[in-house]
Amino acid sequence: MTREELVSDLKERFKSDIIDFYDRSPTRIYIEIKPESLVKVASYIFKDLKARFNIASALDAKTHIEILYHFTLEYLRVLVSLRVKLNRDRPKIDSLAPVFKGANWIEREMNELLGIDFTGHPNLKRLLLPESWPEGVYPLRADYKEWDKNAVRDRGV
Amino acid sequence: MAKLGIKTRALLKSPWVFHVATGSCNNCDIEILDVLTPRFDVERFGILLAPSIRHADVLLITGAGSRKSMERVMRLYEMAPKPCLVVCIGECAMSRGIFMPSYNMPKPIDHYLPVDAYIPGCPPKPEAIIAGIVKLIEKKKGGK
Repeated sequence: MTREELVSDLKERFKSDIIDFYDRSPTRIYIEIKPESLVKVASYIFKDLKARFNIASALDAKTHIEILYHFTLEYLRVLVSLRVKLNRDRPKIDSLAPVFKGANWIEREMNELLGIDFTGHPNLKRLLLPESWPEGVYPLRADYKEWDKNAVRDRGV
Repeated sequence: MAKLGIKTRALLKSPWVFHVATGSCNNCDIEILDVLTPRFDVERFGILLAPSIRHADVLLITGAGSRKSMERVMRLYEMAPKPCLVVCIGECAMSRGIFMPSYNMPKPIDHYLPVDAYIPGCPPKPEAIIAGIVKLIEKKKGGK
């Protein structure tokens, strides 16, 4: 399969799921898809195209919460990033952990840091934050406020 | 020389150090390892890296002190035989550096533990670490 065949195959196969197809550079492809068709597209890229799941990254863009799932196709030297945009008030998306194990911990991390709910995740509990951290406070949200009354925010000089 | 207890005198003759990283970027830790290599060789002053906190006289702390790691450091300090000296190595351990506003670094390390010496630098040079340890020993010998 060549790079052109990959692009036309993805465009043809997921015509109804793709919102935006951005062919950024010879090595990077960004595909914005509907959140409900994530599992279908990611399973195809991972299982049928034999891609490697690199990592997922999420950010709070103030109007929405965005997740990027990065897949590398090493035999083509291409990095395919699936972009989903979620509702900021109730961010919710299907989990990819049942499809491949590599998504398990990164989804737990996105859950605790940004409050994204991954439905169907086998073990959605805290990964990095301490036990004393309050429930429902997400440190990487744009509207995060200091909750710790004992925190000292100066250099001490 | 001021009168010192036998414990402090024995400690200063050959201070065994225990190294703990509290969420540092590893640069200070690499410099500490450099100090122990033959090029700088602090073993000639009797300074050894202790394998366990129960053998240690000096606690070397690097890193900004995240919420989770400071629980462990407090437990280590309680386990250390007293008198135990605490040395903060690097900018992060002194004032948290760029991590001062971080949600996971609520307080600098000297708000948790009594710190005997600070060694500034990002990371400090091996010479600076040796100078800091020597100053700490001189200070303790002076009885201050």
